Amino acid sequence: MGDIRQSLLPRDVLSAAKELLYHLDIYICNLVQSGRQPPQVDSKTLELVEEFILHAPKDRNTPARRMSALQELQLLEIMCSCFQEQSRDTVRQLMFSALFSLQGNQADESRMALLGKLVSMAIAVGRVPILECAATWLQRTHRVYCVRLAQVLVDDYCSMVPGSVPTLQNIHSASPRFCCQFISAVTTLYDLTSEELTPPLELLQMIVSWIQDDPRLVLITFLNTPLSGSQPLSSLDVTPLGGLVRWCVKAPLTYRRDKKLVLTNGSSESEPETGPLFSALHLSVLQVFMLLPNILNEKGLFGRLALLQMESLAALTSDLSRLLDQADKHTHTSSTDTHVLSQLALDRLAQALQVAMANGALLCSREDLRTICSRLPHNNLLQLVLSGPVIYYNNIHTPPLAFSPHAAHSPIASHPTHPAHTPHTPHATHPSSHPQYPAQPFIAGMPFPFRPSH
Amino acid sequence: MSVVFDGSPLKAMQSSHTHTPQTALSAQELSQEIKSFISGADTVQGRKLSVREHARCAVRLLRLVPACRGAVLEHLRGVYDEHVSTFLHNLETEGDASSGVSANLEDIIQEVHAVLSEFIRLNPRAWAPLVSAWAVDLLGQLSSKHAGRRVAPHSSSLNELLQLWMSCAATRSLMEAYSQCLAAMLAWCPDACVDALLDTSVQHSPHFDWVVAHIGSAFPGTIISRVLACGLKDFCSHGAKDQGPVIMGVDKGNRVPKIGSVVGILGHLAGHHSDSIRKELLRMFQESLTPSSPLSPTSSSTSWESSPQLRRAAVPFLLQLAAMSPNLFGAVSAELVELLRPPVLLQLQALLQGLPREELDNMLGLAVHLISQSPSGGARVLRFLADTATPASVIISGPTPSPHEGVREGCDRLLQMLLLHLHKLVFNRSDGVEGNPHHSASSQPQRIIPFLEELQSHVGDLCAETLRLERKRHLWLHQLLCLLSVYGGPSVATEALCQLLTQARNPEELALAWQLHTVLSSCMAGLIPAAVARCVAQIHTHTLGPRQLRQLLLNLAAAIQSQDEEKRGALGAQSSMSMQVGSAVSGHLHDFCPLLLHGDPAVSHAAVRLMSCSPLPRTSSPAHLLLLSRAAVTHFFLVLRRRGEGGKVGRDGGQAGEAVNCSVLLLSRFAAYSPLTLKAVLQQLVEGALHKGNTDLFGGQIADMSGAPLPSPSVSPDLGASLLDINCRFGTTVNFSGSVWSVFHAGVIGKGLKVRTSTQLPDPSGVIQNIQTLLTVIVQCCSSSGLNGSRPPSDPDETPPINAEAAKVVAVTLVENVCPDVANGELSWPPEEHARTTVERDIHIRRCFEAHPVLFPLLQVVAAGRPALCYCSAVLRGLLATLLAHWEASREALSTDSPWHLQASCLLVSCMGEGQLLPPVLANVHEAFPHLTPFEVRLLLLAVWEYVRGNGPMPQKFVFSSEKGLFCRDFSRDGDVARYVAPIHSVLHKNIDRLGHLCWRFQL
Repeated sequence: MGDIRQSLLPRDVLSAAKELLYHLDIYICNLVQSGRQPPQVDSKTLELVEEFILHAPKDRNTPARRMSALQELQLLEIMCSCFQEQSRDTVRQLMFSALFSLQGNQADESRMALLGKLVSMAIAVGRVPILECAATWLQRTHRVYCVRLAQVLVDDYCSMVPGSVPTLQNIHSASPRFCCQFISAVTTLYDLTSEELTPPLELLQMIVSWIQDDPRLVLITFLNTPLSGSQPLSSLDVTPLGGLVRWCVKAPLTYRRDKKLVLTNGSSESEPETGPLFSALHLSVLQVFMLLPNILNEKGLFGRLALLQMESLAALTSDLSRLLDQADKHTHTSSTDTHVLSQLALDRLAQALQVAMANGALLCSREDLRTICSRLPHNNLLQLVLSGPVIYYNNIHTPPLAFSPHAAHSPIASHPTHPAHTPHTPHATHPSSHPQYPAQPFIAGMPFPFRPSH
Repeated sequence: MSVVFDGSPLKAMQSSHTHTPQTALSAQELSQEIKSFISGADTVQGRKLSVREHARCAVRLLRLVPACRGAVLEHLRGVYDEHVSTFLHNLETEGDASSGVSANLEDIIQEVHAVLSEFIRLNPRAWAPLVSAWAVDLLGQLSSKHAGRRVAPHSSSLNELLQLWMSCAATRSLMEAYSQCLAAMLAWCPDACVDALLDTSVQHSPHFDWVVAHIGSAFPGTIISRVLACGLKDFCSHGAKDQGPVIMGVDKGNRVPKIGSVVGILGHLAGHHSDSIRKELLRMFQESLTPSSPLSPTSSSTSWESSPQLRRAAVPFLLQLAAMSPNLFGAVSAELVELLRPPVLLQLQALLQGLPREELDNMLGLAVHLISQSPSGGARVLRFLADTATPASVIISGPTPSPHEGVREGCDRLLQMLLLHLHKLVFNRSDGVEGNPHHSASSQPQRIIPFLEELQSHVGDLCAETLRLERKRHLWLHQLLCLLSVYGGPSVATEALCQLLTQARNPEELALAWQLHTVLSSCMAGLIPAAVARCVAQIHTHTLGPRQLRQLLLNLAAAIQSQDEEKRGALGAQSSMSMQVGSAVSGHLHDFCPLLLHGDPAVSHAAVRLMSCSPLPRTSSPAHLLLLSRAAVTHFFLVLRRRGEGGKVGRDGGQAGEAVNCSVLLLSRFAAYSPLTLKAVLQQLVEGALHKGNTDLFGGQIADMSGAPLPSPSVSPDLGASLLDINCRFGTTVNFSGSVWSVFHAGVIGKGLKVRTSTQLPDPSGVIQNIQTLLTVIVQCCSSSGLNGSRPPSDPDETPPINAEAAKVVAVTLVENVCPDVANGELSWPPEEHARTTVERDIHIRRCFEAHPVLFPLLQVVAAGRPALCYCSAVLRGLLATLLAHWEASREALSTDSPWHLQASCLLVSCMGEGQLLPPVLANVHEAFPHLTPFEVRLLLLAVWEYVRGNGPMPQKFVFSSEKGLFCRDFSRDGDVARYVAPIHSVLHKNIDRLGHLCWRFQL
């Protein structure tokens, strides 16, 4: 395929790109036909793509050719129809990755730009194949780039073009896989640490409505993906659950800040309250957790795969304690208000922890939880969750065995936790690393029935 | 366990659909739309889209497909361009304007504008940067592209350009969109948008200027500060090494792209917003100095204050800016100096200390250049520099505390550089032209040096400053004065010299004037005469107060007198100069003479000092001479009176005495100048001495027309007599000599004698002194070498003889004043009996002598100048006649019983003897008078009369004896004296007991 370069060189930018796309299509079809496993696009071809489609400068001497915005639009249009017309999924996937999988070189910038435009356009004109390919791309790519793609889409549809949110909303029906990956990317992007990293209201509304309509949407990637060890490093989480929990827990504290900002600006129009939205979202998330045991059991992964990562939880609690500190410091006046909000945040955390643990999404001991929650202020519910076995849950009337090493997990009958089976919770395997942490601030009179020995 | 769930999410979600586009297209339709847009043809119907449809399609895509944004905006460029072309075409073919309307895309433009404006309004953060970049770029492109059109005005006429483009819908829409973006962006990233503006401005200058001007006037405050901030950043990143000695923007090329456009833009805005520009520049300066405080309220808007590097670059940047734009410099310079208070200076020093030496030198050069080019405020800058650079002193402690030593040194250096620079500028102005620069000045256009240009009007202040003689300051200022004089040519030099002459208060200060002249004399001729003429002009316009006037006169006098000192062997450096001053002053003597009579004694004193030491002009018009002599004489009497009044007070007395001396000197020198002046002076002196205003000076009484002392009106009762009534009576209309008059001089008949007023005589010693002074001056005048050749006195102790001609003048004047009737009358005497016919006149003469004691000394002077006394013949005869009548009528036992008559007789006879009207035998008779009876005195006087009648007092009887230098009369040629001596001998015989010791005096 490298020999077509000479014929491409004299052509103008657009027709060269078109021709290359055409040749690429044929080339990949042949590749798939040949049945070689795995089908691999050779580097020569990738270079051609970079030179004639992405217009990365080949060397310093030749000036980079550029396409005008109109030509670019034509190219995108051609790409759209090209993917649309290609019936074979494999070919599409290969082609997409030939074009857009990151190579770690100079061309990546223009690659990302083009990809952003292509996906944005595909959303607008409803090109499902492209969205599917993009979903796969989002699964395989480093999360930094995923986040960038999400940013482009959010900018395009939620801020740049007013009234285009419904178009984006449609991807839910067009490509649930893409939608799920998009949610993952968006929750990763907006971690509520600063004002810029707070999701726009339109986006929030859209996501809440998606999950409310179909809680399983969150799990689609997880459901559709064969759980192999081939998960690329630092890619997005397989579900957006961690990010969503983070949103729900931190929202009362961060949005309050925003609200105050709006109030001081004097332009607090009829902006809808975000509180109800997050409540609804929280409910949906908890519902998703409740769906998990069946799914996990079906896959035979119950107790073996932690969908909530301990590390992200630890980060969340430390963020939370920092936010609570700040809230205490900065609000002297409305301390009751602050108190209510921080209790709400802690409540949600406790609920999420409990439900996640109960449904096998979080694999860890209560001791680990106590450790990561040790900095948090007092909250009754959290206290309860941390302190352990909820007796009425599985109707076992025997009190917990104070000195049994497995007593911690015994209340949840369907949760046969074995240290050997919990590779995702390093804390459980290295309990000795915790003693330096200060003890969880228990209230003196609280019953403290057991102390796990490991 | 329950989920905290408060509130319905549904309501919130409904609101997300509020922005549903009115034309909800399906994905399929959208895809078609995109295809249509790309191909420019309707894909369904297969026909080509019109421009309008195409644009509408683009707008739809802009609303619906975010990914098409770039392409749509690019397409719209074409649409806008099309519209502009049509618009201009319509303008060019005015008549067919209606045909173009159909193709006019104005509605589309408006649609696009509405969409963009809505987007910007809804989400400024996302859209403003995008649209502003697009709009600015497109504006630049459009204005460059269409600049060459026939209807487009030239790029220099900014207003027309602005009018044209703002009347075009496309450009107006772009401009509005950009303004909207800018308004939105100023809040959070002002630098970015102004950067874009500047970049475009550079790219499309000058066609793009109208955009900048418009935007600038829409957002003056912000644009100005942003433009400055951008310029500063750019300046800083280019580094000082590039800027180097770029002076006057000689090298404005591509090395400093932004500063050029910064200057251009600010220049545009200066028209209407110079005030805000000035404020902004000053603010930049101030903020660059104040140490960064994180809580500074202004630093939120601009970021440059927070960077130490930028802050350090601010001052060089401002200098550079000022160097490139006189407008900006002019705006700032005035107030900048006000800002430079000691604390600010300290900060500035602290800031600049960190800069490398080379850069500092550049800045210094730049600053010097700027100062020299500054068209206004130069005086203030100079004062500031001098104030700051003057070393602190315990003696001179100004209101402001002495600045820091480092600051002072800096200023010192700056000032010296400035002087050096000005020196170069001034002396290099006419390169290659040899000789006097002022001759070349006319031939070749000179380079203007605004600093000096402006200072020219402050020469007076500069001079005053210089004369304060403060340490280094006066050296600098003096140097500057020299430069200024050379620069400004003779007029300024004259002014400076004149000011120095006027303001100097002591020899040291006056020396500055000579120093200035020494420097300038090499390149300027005729400076001193011009300066003196200017001083005179000042005198004429009365611009000087008495003190200044006095000072000026004294300074001139000092200048002239220094010449005298040089003659005695001092250095000759100033000789030519003081000679020049002398000759210049001499040319203007008549201008100074009114000052002799100035109301302020100090001034008149100074004037007389100047005039008495000034040389006399070589030639002068008689009018001037007469004027001078009149003033000098009047002044003489004035100072005499002043001496009399102020004599008691120590210092004033001394001054008055000196004034009298000066006056005497002046008069005598002046009298020696020419026969005319001699005559005038003597005449006026005599007239003045006899004038009724001055009589009291010389012990006289105020006499009326008839010579009798006037009674003061309050004392004399009204007698009810009127000369008019008498004259109206029949028969008295004709003046019968001796009839009517005789009624009045003694009193009205029937009313008794006139009341004689007793006037108390003034201080006799003063009178004597005054008379002595008067005689001195008259004698000096008479004996000075005016008429009798310029023969210097061989022996200074020996008083030179009285000049005959001069004495004649005195005599004639005297006669005219004492008795106008007899002026030019017969010199020879009639027989004694005839004296009866002239009784009236004789009494008048006698009264005159009574009223004016000074007449006798004057007569003596005349007598000394033989044969001048001859011309007094009539007066002598009259006096003698009345004396004869008195002695005849006298019934007293001794002559001493009527002392005045005795004295008068003695003086008369002795004068006649001195004047050689009488031979010595007869002249000596007066020695016997006090010892005789009145009758005997009459006898002797009759003998005198007889002799004079027999031997008439004719001047031609005198011959000049060259060995004596005098005229003498040879009595041997006259008749025998013995005839007249008989009565003398008889009287001797009669009184031999008392007159024995006098007998030898009467031997023949």
